[in-house]
Amino acid sequence: MDLLQRFALGEIDAFETLVRQFQGDIYAWIVRIVRDPGIAEDLTVEALWRIYRARHRFRLDGNFSSWVRRIATNLALDHLRSRRPEQSLLEEPGAPQPDHLLQREIREKIQQAFRRLPAKLQVAATLALVEGQPYGEIADALGTSVGAVKLRVFRAVRILRKQLNHLGVGP
Amino acid sequence: MTEHDERQIREALQQSLPPVKTELHRDLWPAVLHKLDVRPVRVPWYDWALIGLSTTMFLFFPQLILVFAYHL
Repeated sequence: MDLLQRFALGEIDAFETLVRQFQGDIYAWIVRIVRDPGIAEDLTVEALWRIYRARHRFRLDGNFSSWVRRIATNLALDHLRSRRPEQSLLEEPGAPQPDHLLQREIREKIQQAFRRLPAKLQVAATLALVEGQPYGEIADALGTSVGAVKLRVFRAVRILRKQLNHLGVGP
Repeated sequence: MTEHDERQIREALQQSLPPVKTELHRDLWPAVLHKLDVRPVRVPWYDWALIGLSTTMFLFFPQLILVFAYHL
């Protein structure tokens, strides 16, 4: 019996092997969306727990990696929906600060406008524009089509452009 | 909106949002295992039976709701 079959039957050893294999990927995906390592770790644990609880719904002929990523994306989306737009995006100590490229005030205004985007648009814009992830992968993770992701990015750009113009920032 | 707009917004976002490190620095299995051990609160069968019995009684004898409410 292979690993995924054993997992679907609820074998904890099989699940442990899968956790060790996929936890890094899940964390990397979530942290790209929520942009906070502490929250991303918590959400990764929550996602792994949900994956185990939903093991009966996993289709053995399906792609485990895609299924897992979809659960992780939904969780990250829920987090963005519950987060207040005033909360700042964490700046990692020691991370290179692009002060020479944009003034701090302008950066803050852009962050502010970005956080005000609806969660679905924010996820699409983060993954496509900031992280440069392929549209196909984003669509798969969001459980939608490539066209729908492109539309979300388009809408996000349009809203950001309007908000930044309103704030007096022209990128 | 043009591709030029999208490129400008993309650059502005990349310069404004702090980069994140995507490497996981600790094993999350112990935390997952701990979470799996915390079992959800189970409602015993006799509570369900009591709820069912009460609902049936109230359906057939709705005036009992007033008596019940009076004694609460």
